[in-house]
Amino acid sequence: MSTGLALKVAGIDVHYKDFQALWNVSLETQEGEITSVIGANGSGKSTLLSTVSGILAPTAGTIEFFGERIDGLPPHETVARGLSMVPEGRRIFPRLTVYENLMMGSYSPRSRTVRDQALDKILELFPVLKARSDQMGNTLSGGEQQMLAIGRALMSDPKLVLCDEISLGLAPVIIKGIYKELKRINEQGITIVLVEQDITRSLKAARYAYILLQGKVVLEGKPSSLNEEAIKKAYFGV
Amino acid sequence: MKDLLQPILNGILLGGLYAVIAIGLSTIMGIVKVMNFAHGDLMILSSYLSLVFVSWLGLSPFWSFFVIVPLAYFIGYFYQRRLINRVLGKEMDPPLIVAFGVGIILQNLLLLIFTPDARTLMTGLGLKTISLTSDLKIPVNYLLDFVIGLGVIFFLYIFFQRTYLGRAIRASSDDEIAARLMGVNTKTVYAHAMGISNMTAAVAGILVGMTFTFYPHTGSEYLFIAFGVAIIAGLGSMKGTFVAGIILAVAQLFGGHFLGPGYQMVSGHIILLIVLLVKPKGIFGTV
Amino acid sequence: MNKFIQRSKWPFLGFLVLVLATVPVWGSKYVVFFCLLFCVYLAMSEMWNLLTGFSGLFSLGQPAFIGLSGYTVAVATHHFGLSAWTSLFLAGLFSVLFALFMSLFIFRVRGIYYGIITLIFPESMLLLCSNWEYLRYAQGMFIKPQPPISVTAIYYVAFVIGVGAVVSVYLILRSNLGLGLMAMRDNEEVAKTMGVETFRFKVYCFLVSALVTGLAGAIYYIFVVFIQPGEAFSISWSVKFIFITIIGGIGTIEGPIVGALIYVFLSQYLAEYFSVSMIMLGAVAIAVILLTPKGIVGTFQEKIGFRILSPHRE
Repeated sequence: MSTGLALKVAGIDVHYKDFQALWNVSLETQEGEITSVIGANGSGKSTLLSTVSGILAPTAGTIEFFGERIDGLPPHETVARGLSMVPEGRRIFPRLTVYENLMMGSYSPRSRTVRDQALDKILELFPVLKARSDQMGNTLSGGEQQMLAIGRALMSDPKLVLCDEISLGLAPVIIKGIYKELKRINEQGITIVLVEQDITRSLKAARYAYILLQGKVVLEGKPSSLNEEAIKKAYFGV
Repeated sequence: MKDLLQPILNGILLGGLYAVIAIGLSTIMGIVKVMNFAHGDLMILSSYLSLVFVSWLGLSPFWSFFVIVPLAYFIGYFYQRRLINRVLGKEMDPPLIVAFGVGIILQNLLLLIFTPDARTLMTGLGLKTISLTSDLKIPVNYLLDFVIGLGVIFFLYIFFQRTYLGRAIRASSDDEIAARLMGVNTKTVYAHAMGISNMTAAVAGILVGMTFTFYPHTGSEYLFIAFGVAIIAGLGSMKGTFVAGIILAVAQLFGGHFLGPGYQMVSGHIILLIVLLVKPKGIFGTV
Repeated sequence: MNKFIQRSKWPFLGFLVLVLATVPVWGSKYVVFFCLLFCVYLAMSEMWNLLTGFSGLFSLGQPAFIGLSGYTVAVATHHFGLSAWTSLFLAGLFSVLFALFMSLFIFRVRGIYYGIITLIFPESMLLLCSNWEYLRYAQGMFIKPQPPISVTAIYYVAFVIGVGAVVSVYLILRSNLGLGLMAMRDNEEVAKTMGVETFRFKVYCFLVSALVTGLAGAIYYIFVVFIQPGEAFSISWSVKFIFITIIGGIGTIEGPIVGALIYVFLSQYLAEYFSVSMIMLGAVAIAVILLTPKGIVGTFQEKIGFRILSPHRE
């Protein structure tokens, strides 16, 4: 069982035109683990994920995925290497059916071979999706859309899944269910990077956590070793 | 009332052709979110290419479907990839200006090379009709347009529903970023979509050439028809495009019937403006 | 060096305006003709720039106002014997009224449709006027105002319209309307949430552009004396505006000045070859958009870091 690094982000800077969103951010995720990135709105969490997935490119620093450099690669290349994302706001395709959304998840050539097995596994994981298989994406409830987004991300047979604010806008009981599934998925060997505003849940789920404030990593460590005071300070920047 | 039946019948048949003309424009507008001003001119380019092909080889125009339509794919692909993709971004104007410019260049090139004389693709079907009743006749070439039009729409529908590329195109038009996160190379997909759009335009162009006379300015006229159908239908519905094609065609023919042949085009414009006032999202619009 | 340029910018502009204002005194007939056309194209292009470059309204409908004004003048002088001045006034009035009518349609749709919907109007008017006996069908009409108006008078009207166009764009952009417009252009949804009344602003701009374009069109036709529907409502007007504005620099106030100068200069050589000139104008516009999208003035402004006529408050 290799304990290699699934993801290694080293000192990246990210700019939006003239505005700098991330400053010298470094982060490591061990293979098979769940890592949390926590921060308030505007702290740069989503920017970080967008940069890892390839939507944005860092202006400095490097990103390694299972030992291979991926900084600057466009999303279709990172997906081809086994990276997958559950985007902020779910971003399911509203005018495609549940089935078609899942099919889009297996768009990359690498995942087409395992498509049918992946589909079976996901429908088993989220039975409600099976029931709604022919319905349009925009007719699903928030929780169902979130499950669809996660299922879609899993269709690409990923080695690592980036989850951007998956609890946003959902009722607590639904969130509980989703985190349970997340743990199940992780137990099957898939590495997860969890970006959340909800501190408690993500700390409970993760093995290691990073706290971002205004584009910088201000605190990191094993959740058990981080005390509440320190977390509050880092999160709110007091 | 009785003498309205012929324009209605003609309108229904012509509607199939109008739907094909529109579907390419409607598709590419939904995906790339740019009004392709060159659509009509690209269509008529295919008519002229077909003309050259036919006069060169002395074959029947039906053969041009097999040569010109695939050629149109590459023209469309190249046009999107090298010109439009380069200026796609935050600003809305550059792609519009490029499309508009290409349209103007094409139209005037055709004018220079082929002169403003009216041309046609001779098929021998020209004046043949099938008589339904003593007053009602089906023009064979209109019927052909309708059948081929129906076929094109049907194939497109299958393509968009069942293939990976088709789904990728629909996904990209729904949410471009999410599509990229799924591994879709949207720039390439756009180019393929434009290739397909131009193929339908080529089919339409050849049909138009076989059914009517054409000259360089015809492209502009058909751009308005395509747009009219797209607006009446509303974006995002293929069945809607077909019905809208029929509505526009019937409206045009009625206008020509009551006001005189010079008013045929204008009647189409008026219907478009009325629909805009009353139902801006189109009759079947899902967006 | 920069400071020197900055301080001398108003005197420099003043000098240019003075030169332009006194052309009939020192210039040959040919130079007057050149400057008159320059003023006309400048006015029309500034308006197109206001709509497309600053308000996000890609309008291909300007020829509607040009043709409408031209025919208003033709009908007023020919069928009603009105003077050139009255006809000019009517041309402006009808242009604004027609723009109000167009506004009912064009602002109901999303931005990607503006271009083609605005295009429908001149195209329809072309077809209608070609079929109308009162306007002598497609053969055209002569414009002979009574009492006759001198070339010098025509020139000064064109001069006032040209300079007036630049001044009005400058004032509009510097006002609150202008701020709202530029916010709208960048992000309409956000601008709305900040209280920018997007609909009203767009209509104001559109009306102003109609007025100025209409007046410029009217004086143009008074000068050339003859009008035909195919040319008056032709899309080639729009091709010229696009060329002028793009090559000059879209989104800058000085852009159309440079562009109009280049165009009027070029048009002498292109006079006989309509299709070739259209192809050339189109090709150059596309090349500029692909390679140096900011145009001459825009690129220049980037390099030296400031503007002569800035739409931004300092």
